[in-house]
Amino acid sequence: MSTIRLENLVKKFGDFTALKTMDLEIADGEFMALLGPSGCGKSTTMNMIAGMEEPTSGRILFGDRNMSGVPMGRRGVGFVFQNYAIFTHMTVRQNLSYGPRMHGAPKAETDRRVGAIAELLQLTALLDRRADRLSVNILQRVAIGRSAIMEPVIFLLDEPLSNVDAAFRAVMRTELKHLQRQFRQTMVYVTHDQLEAMTMADRIAVMDHGVLQQVGTPLDVYNNPANVFVARFIGAPGMNLLPGRPAESDRGLVIDLGPLGATAPLPERLANALRGHSGEILFGFRPEQATLAGEGRGIAAQVTAVERIGARTIVHLGEGASAIKVVLNNDQQAALGASAIVTPNMDAVRIFNRATGQAIGGSGNG
Amino acid sequence: MNVATASEDAMAMLAAEGRAVARDEAARLGFRLALPAQILVLFIAVFPLLMQLYISLTDWSPLSGLGWWNAWELWNSFANYTDLAADKRFWSALWRTFVVMIVCVPVEFLLGLGLAMLFADDFPGKRLFYSILLMPMMVVPAVAGYMFFMLFQSGGPMNDILSALTGSRVAIAWLSDPTLALAAVMMADIWQWTPLMFLILLAGLVGVPEDQMKAATLLGANAWQRFTTIVLPKMKTIIIIALAIRVIENFKIFDTLYIMTGGGPGVATETISVYIYKLTTQDLIWGYVAAIALAILLVLSIATVFAMKRMAAAREARA
Amino acid sequence: MAEIAFRNVGKRYGGTVALSNASFTIRDNEFFCFFGPPLSGKSTILRLILGLEMPDHGEILIGGKPVNAVSPAERNVAMVFQNLALFPHMSARDNIRFPLAERKIPQAEIERKLADVAAKLHIGHILHKQPAQLSGGERQRVAIARALVRDPVAYLMDDPISALDARLREETRVELKRIQRELGKTLIYVTHDQEEAMSVADRMAILEAGVIRQVGAPLEIYDHPASTYVARLLGSPMMNILPSTASGNDIRVADGAIAVEGLAGAAEIAEVGVRPEDIRVSAWAQGQSGTPSRVYEVEPLGGYTVVTVDAGPSRVRALMRGQPDIRPEAMVALSCDAAAVHLFSRNGTALSR
Repeated sequence: MSTIRLENLVKKFGDFTALKTMDLEIADGEFMALLGPSGCGKSTTMNMIAGMEEPTSGRILFGDRNMSGVPMGRRGVGFVFQNYAIFTHMTVRQNLSYGPRMHGAPKAETDRRVGAIAELLQLTALLDRRADRLSVNILQRVAIGRSAIMEPVIFLLDEPLSNVDAAFRAVMRTELKHLQRQFRQTMVYVTHDQLEAMTMADRIAVMDHGVLQQVGTPLDVYNNPANVFVARFIGAPGMNLLPGRPAESDRGLVIDLGPLGATAPLPERLANALRGHSGEILFGFRPEQATLAGEGRGIAAQVTAVERIGARTIVHLGEGASAIKVVLNNDQQAALGASAIVTPNMDAVRIFNRATGQAIGGSGNG
Repeated sequence: MNVATASEDAMAMLAAEGRAVARDEAARLGFRLALPAQILVLFIAVFPLLMQLYISLTDWSPLSGLGWWNAWELWNSFANYTDLAADKRFWSALWRTFVVMIVCVPVEFLLGLGLAMLFADDFPGKRLFYSILLMPMMVVPAVAGYMFFMLFQSGGPMNDILSALTGSRVAIAWLSDPTLALAAVMMADIWQWTPLMFLILLAGLVGVPEDQMKAATLLGANAWQRFTTIVLPKMKTIIIIALAIRVIENFKIFDTLYIMTGGGPGVATETISVYIYKLTTQDLIWGYVAAIALAILLVLSIATVFAMKRMAAAREARA
Repeated sequence: MAEIAFRNVGKRYGGTVALSNASFTIRDNEFFCFFGPPLSGKSTILRLILGLEMPDHGEILIGGKPVNAVSPAERNVAMVFQNLALFPHMSARDNIRFPLAERKIPQAEIERKLADVAAKLHIGHILHKQPAQLSGGERQRVAIARALVRDPVAYLMDDPISALDARLREETRVELKRIQRELGKTLIYVTHDQEEAMSVADRMAILEAGVIRQVGAPLEIYDHPASTYVARLLGSPMMNILPSTASGNDIRVADGAIAVEGLAGAAEIAEVGVRPEDIRVSAWAQGQSGTPSRVYEVEPLGGYTVVTVDAGPSRVRALMRGQPDIRPEAMVALSCDAAAVHLFSRNGTALSR
């Protein structure tokens, strides 16, 4: 087990910069998710940690050991590929024993380790099956077992759940998280699915266009997004972001949202940070952090769509730049076409500089 | 809606659920649609075979003044076949053909595999070398024959090169020496057919899943271990195919060889094809030729069936 | 009137039953969704409606008239393909006009229909553009316009947005729903995503291996699933299906690990279902009555939190609003209202109370 440190990591492919300066420290035993849309540089980062790609510049350290020049077979890294990369011409047993065999481990020792890992992953009954006709969830366990048998310092997982069907994915998330918490294995998990990152990771590194946007615990990233990208990317639906300007009122500093009206007064901390800021801002609040009312003071908008999805109801209001989503429990109702007053929980409001996209006022109460 | 495209698209999209039908009904329909072609092929293949069998049981020759269908007048039962068994020239030609094959095919295979592994990675000038490498395959065998014929003349480039290398005048009479002539012929074959081997093996090599190779590397396998545990097993089928193609083709070696040596000196490079050709054009004993051809066909068929069985077994194991 | 109805329709492919005795009615102007796992027969139904496939038995009616013998072209049902299948070299206008141009309809008539459908879909201003110049949403509308310009009885979509990324899918399904509502034309829609189905459908049919298990409005099915199969298919996290034991007149859930006041029912109850959002989780206090359970894992979603608990013999998921301070391995008490409990018999069918 060991910590992983990425220092000034840069990766260019010809003219294309896949990763622009990445600094990240992953603690021993930590479950770190690298999260972002495709092309954000997350897979490149992971491939460099594994040694499949050499960084253009910068360093990767496992503990104190500089990994530059260490070939991928010698890094002690376990890697679970997106499609699992199972050796289809071998049996499950041959797959599991592959690492020890290649290292010339004695037969008895190998058998013992294969037996133990198969037991742990409930693969014992399948050991002599050929690996090319197994279901996805078994393939995944074989892939994990094949790496785990080498007792890697660090486990890298590349979107391992993307081929699993939706219902089973939820179960796998819980299981994977539980397994990691039990063994305290350092894990780096690459995904484009914010739900996977939120539910499983100890910390999330959100990336976009080769730039690290924010690192934090799931709730940190959700509650206090560092910028507009993170605010939109995390959460389902993402954060509401309404353009406006700070304005003084008799009740204190409010945000003038133009045709939508003005907000309630901002909390002290945000108001202080915003005073003296004259430019346009984005007024952000989570769809779950707002209530709807028929009348009263607040942001007035018309209900344009209502989605009733089991436990939650997503209410869509307004159009274009001033579109708002509010998530209600399914015991609350909203009628299509009705006018409604949206009242955000002002303690959970976040403000962003519209020009730079960066959060104003730093972290909230979290 | 454009119905034609609609049905096609929908068929494709919905194919998953329709697979079961498709198999039964399509199999029946497919059989009926293919029937005329099958009959035609059968006619093309079976008719000459029967004709050959018929002639092989006679002493018929184009000089006999009879139409081939009247060959029964020269019926000799199995005399051609018993002659064949005692024909030393035939057996030595067959043995020579076998020697050429046993040398050429493995050399072509190893060279082809080495080149394929080289070309599986990127290196500067890859495309250019690739084109150059494939060129011999595109040369008409007869032309290749003339090229090598000239290359191996006593005053030809081969001796010039050897002279330059050794610093003394080399004047080897390549094509006049029985052993060297055979070697020269083999070199020509290797030159011309290594590219095909290379091409087939490269296709197989590129098909080895890259992530499985990476996974093996990450698990600590070195290059040789990766080759033996991943590459070779995955390429088994394609290797058998490549070898089968070359074995069958090499058995029929003729044009290049005939132009280089004409089977000589003496009968030093006379392979089975050359022998048959000579019997056909010089001796004109077609009944005997038909018997030889049938015997060879039988041998080759057995070899092919064996190879196909191995291939099917390999495919079965993989599926 | 343009109802589309199946009366006892069956279809086999060789030995495989693709659809067995399907009967349902799709009402005029509704957004009707077929939902089920892969190979459950959804796409077979679309093929049967389109006329690309003949039923083995049973009757298909469109607008009350049997159409078993009617060719696909004459059924007047349109299909919008997942890849939209727009002709890239034609302007939006020519793409939409295409189905009419092939039918030798007078020019003036074509222009009138084109203007009509363009107005309905709000694409009048982009008709001159080529598909490559349009946004994804605009292309979607053009493809729908092309399907609708012939004024079909209904239009069909087979998993149209499954290829999009998650965020775009959330937006597009709302957009599709909006379009359908504005057009007021029957839309028959196939999806394998339960959230999408619930979001868009007016009514839906749930399929399992060629059998229609339940038909109804999404929330109706969500609240009253007819079987454990349907109950598990809708909702995320899925419904907890737990063993129950009758003790006297009372029913104990998961060996009493979930406290349910006054839950009574018939003896044939074998399992009960509880939606994750209906389970209350509270910290276990020493000396409290009832059964404590250990938290297995806590998964924050931001606005919600999934808490997985080892409750007696079962692993139970609870969906809690907000970000409660519950940690793995903590001891908690679980409870739920009797009204929120679904009762199932041994063979998995729902029992009424």
